[in-house]
Amino acid sequence: MSEAQEKKAFFSRNIRKNMDSLYSVAHRLTRNSADAQDLVAETATRAWTAIDNLEDEKRFRPWIFRILHNCYISDYRKKSVRPVEFAYDELATSDSDSEIASLLVKQPDEFLNWWANPEREVVNNLLGEDLIRAIESLPESFRSAVVLINVEGLSYDETAEVLGVSPGTVRSRMNRGRTLLQKALWQHAQEAGLISENYLMESHS
Amino acid sequence: MTDKSDTPESVDSDCLEAFDHLYAYVNGELTDKKSVAMIEHHLDHCRSCFSRAQIERELNERLKNSGKNTAPVALENRLKKLIEDF
Repeated sequence: MSEAQEKKAFFSRNIRKNMDSLYSVAHRLTRNSADAQDLVAETATRAWTAIDNLEDEKRFRPWIFRILHNCYISDYRKKSVRPVEFAYDELATSDSDSEIASLLVKQPDEFLNWWANPEREVVNNLLGEDLIRAIESLPESFRSAVVLINVEGLSYDETAEVLGVSPGTVRSRMNRGRTLLQKALWQHAQEAGLISENYLMESHS
Repeated sequence: MTDKSDTPESVDSDCLEAFDHLYAYVNGELTDKKSVAMIEHHLDHCRSCFSRAQIERELNERLKNSGKNTAPVALENRLKKLIEDF
């Protein structure tokens, strides 16, 4: 097999191996299947043209995720008709203690009571689609960090490489993203009547 | 430690300090021994944060299983064709 054929075989094998992961991340970013498929196809095209820049073949996964993320930022986000999200990144680089305090201080008391005294059953009773809806409700930079780390199992360092930020920023985005995820789940649990009456009475006493 | 005046009434400032490391801890990303010792000491003594850590671990498992999609056959065929044409 020639060097060119070997390169193509390597690329094809790794695209196939990571196809479900690429599609999952693309789906969480674009929030629909058609755009997610286009995004993965565009990622594969750009990755092939840049394959010679992949220095370590073992790093294919973070490398291809970075290309996917960049494709999303440069193409798909511009097309989005969704309203512009709040610039959380400014807060994500601030002092970590005050940043969590500043996020929590803006939350309703009922949520803070639940946050401080969480009910395990609520998480157990949530459906998979509830979790997906909660993930997709997150601002983009937090959504990317949560999906790459908690769904795809990337390390903080790999996620930093994919997103083009420092590991400290990834940690900060995880803290804020997961807190906002909890809030989205809490809101859903309230609407669905999953939070027990006893708990709500205790919270208000 | 966080200034108490900036802290929501229902959340203790010690908990906030521990919370700063909680996700890194439950995600297995906290390597600094001093921080690990600090959070483990706090979790041993704070029922609320212990419960939150348990919930975050369970949520991690749920996210790992729920957030994944299988690529449609149409995408698989599209990529196969794309790569053949490269």
